[in-house]
Amino acid sequence: MLADAAKAQEVFHATLREAAQQAADGEAPRDRLWFFRNARWRCLEAGEKGLQAEDVDLDQGELAEWAPSQIQKLEPEQFAIWIAAAPDPQRTSLALFYLNEFSYRDLLSVTELKPPELSKLLGNGRREFQAWLDATFPVSQI
Amino acid sequence: MNAAELSRRDQMLLHCAPIQDEQVNDRALRTAVHHARKTAAFTTQQNFDKAASALVQAIPIPKEIIEWVPTEAFIAPPRRTWKKYVQNPVFLATGIAALVIAVIVVFQLVDRLNRFPGEVTARRLLTTASSTHSMILDPVKTNAGALGDYFFMKHRLAHYDVPPEFADLKTLGLRVFDDEEGQRVAQVWVVEKKMQFFLFPAVRDPKTGATKYFNGWRYVDQDRWTGVVKEEGGVCFMAAIRGSEKDLAPYVSKKKE
Repeated sequence: MLADAAKAQEVFHATLREAAQQAADGEAPRDRLWFFRNARWRCLEAGEKGLQAEDVDLDQGELAEWAPSQIQKLEPEQFAIWIAAAPDPQRTSLALFYLNEFSYRDLLSVTELKPPELSKLLGNGRREFQAWLDATFPVSQI
Repeated sequence: MNAAELSRRDQMLLHCAPIQDEQVNDRALRTAVHHARKTAAFTTQQNFDKAASALVQAIPIPKEIIEWVPTEAFIAPPRRTWKKYVQNPVFLATGIAALVIAVIVVFQLVDRLNRFPGEVTARRLLTTASSTHSMILDPVKTNAGALGDYFFMKHRLAHYDVPPEFADLKTLGLRVFDDEEGQRVAQVWVVEKKMQFFLFPAVRDPKTGATKYFNGWRYVDQDRWTGVVKEEGGVCFMAAIRGSEKDLAPYVSKKKE
């Protein structure tokens, strides 16, 4: 979400502190996804304070069979930066989806999106990422 | 199947298809995944997502965070609400079966509670009531309450008394006959609402000969005729009417001394 480990850690601690505070007040969060909702908004808040990615329409490419080979050439941080640069709610959708921890219903709940919206954001995200991969690792170099 | 042959809804859902099959916990999504499983486009998408997810998994998580929250405990499993249980076909089928059984048991119980000694005879007499014409009755015009003495004096039928609730009604005629079981039955035709009264011996225990008593008024119906029966002094009295319980209820609810 932030592509910055230090900021992410701050968000984690702040979220944990709030959960502990609520628990101490006898109002422990009952929502099992509370932690992720809270962390999401903190990340978006923190992201607004730093450099903002330009709002541009990215090129899209059809998903390629060789995409896994292209992805393997990436460093994890590169992917994190690419996702963190996406506008929200696409950023949240991609970040949570590729964490591979959430069910479809959980994703809809945390992102507060409707099924067609989430579908469009994930579909476009994949194609934009494919276009970026094609530009970064042309097929001839695979 | 070709990806283009998938419905628009399936295509929409497939963009959200989780990477692991275990996380497909939505019925519509599971159906869409099933439809698309053999399409090249979905296979490419799954391979793409697996590679991207593997990259995300490779991002190191700081040690102190793992100490606070173990990776396997990131997300608590969803709680099963009562709605989920209700929607489960197994629970639904069991619930419906239990409900049907309960309804049958209640129906049987109510039916059993309504039964009373002499019910069979009462039903048979309702059939008699529906087929009797006043022509075959001896004309006797008096108050129903006065018939007890008449039955005793003329037919030697003791305790064949009309209860106070119906004693004021005017009679048109009556007859005394032996029914199929050889019991002496008195039948009275009343002016009001073409009502008929029947007086017949209460059921007796075949071993001891003791009368089988029951308390209060009991309803019985047969072929659009309804009767209300009361036992007193070893004799059953039944008021019969072509209609329902509602037509007889005002009479038996009257308190008479």
